[in-house]
Amino acid sequence: MGADSGPGAPAAAPWRKVLYGRQPYPDNYVDRRFLAELRRNVGVQQLRYWSVAREAGLVGQQVSCVAVFVALWSSLDGGALPPAALLWGGLLAALLGYGLHGALGGGTGGRTRWADLQSAAIFLAFTFGFSPVLKTLTESVSTDTVYAMSALMLLAHLLFFPYARPSPPGSLSLNAALFGSVCLASRLPGALHAFAMLTWALLLFALWPCLLQRLRDRAPRAFPWAAALVSLAGVGGLSGLWPGGSVLLLLTLLALTLACPLLLVRLQRHKDNIHGPWDEAEIREDLSRFLD
Amino acid sequence: MVLKIFFPQCCTTADSGLLVGCWIPDQDSAVVLAVVHYPFIPGQVKRYLTEIRSQTDVDLTVLGSWSMPKEGQEGMDSFLKDLSTIFPHSRWLQLSREIGKRGEGSVRDENEKVIIVHYDQRKVMLSQLHPVQEGVSHSKMEQSALRAVFHTVAQSHPLFFIDKYDDGPLKLTHWQSEGREASIIAELVKQGSVPVCKLLTWMLSLWSWLGSIRLLNVPPVRFISSKLSTCVQLGYRTEHLQTVSSTRKATEHMEFMRKANIFVSFLLDMALGLLLIAWLYRENRIGKLASTLVPVADHVAKELRELLEWLMGAPAGLKMNRALDQVLGRFFIYHIHLWISYIHLMSPFIEMILWYVGLSACLGLTFALSVLSDMVALLTFHIYCFYVYGARLYCLKIYGLSSLWRLFRGKKWNVLRQRVDSCSYDMDQLFIGTLLFTILLFLLPTTALYYLVFTLLRLVVVLFQGLIHLAVDLLNSFPLFAMGLRVCRPYRLAEGVKFRVLCEEEGTPLHLMMEINPIKVSAVLQYYRTPTYSCYPRDSWMALCKKLFVGELIYPWKHKTTKTD
Repeated sequence: MGADSGPGAPAAAPWRKVLYGRQPYPDNYVDRRFLAELRRNVGVQQLRYWSVAREAGLVGQQVSCVAVFVALWSSLDGGALPPAALLWGGLLAALLGYGLHGALGGGTGGRTRWADLQSAAIFLAFTFGFSPVLKTLTESVSTDTVYAMSALMLLAHLLFFPYARPSPPGSLSLNAALFGSVCLASRLPGALHAFAMLTWALLLFALWPCLLQRLRDRAPRAFPWAAALVSLAGVGGLSGLWPGGSVLLLLTLLALTLACPLLLVRLQRHKDNIHGPWDEAEIREDLSRFLD
Repeated sequence: MVLKIFFPQCCTTADSGLLVGCWIPDQDSAVVLAVVHYPFIPGQVKRYLTEIRSQTDVDLTVLGSWSMPKEGQEGMDSFLKDLSTIFPHSRWLQLSREIGKRGEGSVRDENEKVIIVHYDQRKVMLSQLHPVQEGVSHSKMEQSALRAVFHTVAQSHPLFFIDKYDDGPLKLTHWQSEGREASIIAELVKQGSVPVCKLLTWMLSLWSWLGSIRLLNVPPVRFISSKLSTCVQLGYRTEHLQTVSSTRKATEHMEFMRKANIFVSFLLDMALGLLLIAWLYRENRIGKLASTLVPVADHVAKELRELLEWLMGAPAGLKMNRALDQVLGRFFIYHIHLWISYIHLMSPFIEMILWYVGLSACLGLTFALSVLSDMVALLTFHIYCFYVYGARLYCLKIYGLSSLWRLFRGKKWNVLRQRVDSCSYDMDQLFIGTLLFTILLFLLPTTALYYLVFTLLRLVVVLFQGLIHLAVDLLNSFPLFAMGLRVCRPYRLAEGVKFRVLCEEEGTPLHLMMEINPIKVSAVLQYYRTPTYSCYPRDSWMALCKKLFVGELIYPWKHKTTKTD
């Protein structure tokens, strides 16, 4: 404890920072090199405002995705949109997206076209087969409960979404979104409506993030434009349903994309992390060479 | 060291003579078994004692002398003192009766404290100390003094054969010296029981041979016969009869008690069964019973159908999924329809079957109760079927839901480590899994309600059957003979002894009266319960509730065979 050169200190040999050797100093003695290895804010990156704003665009984009979905549902429910048209639109969008995904390159991730076709066939067959059952699922549940459940589920989807890396979809977020969409779809008037709704839910919540990830990786310039497009679609779709809501959505988007990054950058300068040899060891070596 | 002398009460008024008995060396006690009177020839006494010693396991010796002062026999004392030189001994007791006083004094060579314990010889001979230790008669080391005393008296049975009417060379005084106890009826029964037992054993071996032929041991037949309580009861009664009718005489106490218990309960069973038959067949009650059976079955089916229709509507205001509701309801109603057709098909034969089945009650009331239980099981077979369907459906649903809930959260059950791990699922799996989860979740209330209703019905039936089995088990295993013995002759079943102080004075030894303490009634049940199959609840309440919640099929009564011995 404390500095050296107390009166009558032996000072036979210089103090070494080891415990395995007997030294004439007490065990809790340190010399003036105390806390010399302290480092402050070692790994902190200096964030720049516009890059943060770009990344925050993903969050805003996801919120508007949900808004688009809700808008589609309400138009289907109100009868403004015939389900057949929605189905064809979905098919077209899927084909476009698939083409874009392939065109952007970056490998197929080991899946052949045949496997993709199989997956698509399974989805369609399953959903089509179960849509009459799905339609009658919430007959006995009151409307308020259904709306509350769906809202809760979509909120959970937003909260648990893997914003860092959307491509392998997070289980909980995807499942919550699908659950909410099934609840909403079961309120629609017909089996075909339910089928159309579920197809669009799959497109929006499962397949669109994959495309977005690829865009982010391969065409970083185009990514903000895609996000902006979706946000606009969300605001526009919601305005048809509830104008107040679309204004609210716009404000939220602005706050998310512009205000929150500003706050983050401003607060960065208050960061004060200390590092030193007392931190937990991080193994930076690649240990996979031991697995053989 | 205190010397304890166990002195039989019947000998306190005996004439002077020699004390014959047994030393228990470790506990420093002596048991006096009889008094040999004057006149006697010492050589004959020694010969007699050797003979008895070879017949029993008891180490009989001459313990000392007993003097009862009378007029005209003043020289007796010195004569008896001289006897100590004739008979080999390590210690010599001299007991004398003092007229006018209640107790006796004793003159001893060394100055020791002496306690004289008076005991009723007949009672001690007939009694059995509990807990019964059999087969340890050789290791007298481990026996307590009391046990040794009881054992010695019981084993010296041949010593008590000579009574005062015998013209032998020796005159003894013991509990039977006034005349040996015997009864003609007991002797006749003993003589007559041997051929009867032989006949019974032969018949039983024929019956067991019948039961073991290949045709009847085919697995389906064996499975059914293990489920029908009638067959189980038949098996147990056969076993009991085999125990009772074995011609080997029961040497040990427990074996004897078990035989007696089984015999008495069998008699009671048959008597009750015959009473039941007399009641049933008088005024053709059984015919009336048969003719009400079909309408009762019809009524039950009608009630069930109404119940199902109530479930198919909106029961208790609960909202069910209409489509599933209709499917399940129609399925069960069709089942009921099949069952009723079957009952109507059987209705002409029911009266005849019932008449013959009722006759089987002559084998005992337990048999009649088992038949009743089986009939109830057969008549409510459709309830059992419904319960199984409902439970299986519910169980599947719960299982699927729990697995899909784990998928919902992105986790998986690791079978190797028996824990829940995270797992990265494919898109296909996630999609289909979520869809199925939603469907199962919303269909849960409907299935749960059907399951609940049918489980309750099944539990009612099971409860009724359980009560019947309990009654059968009670009749089978209750130790009537032991209970009767405890009530009428309590000294036969002893738990211990009580001592009463007879005379406590300075200078004379302590006199105690030993009285037998019979065992408690609950101990009678504990020791002498016939081992038989008994119905115990298989699971505790918590485990049962958990099983009901998950939808596992419950078989609440477990037929446990308690084969102790």
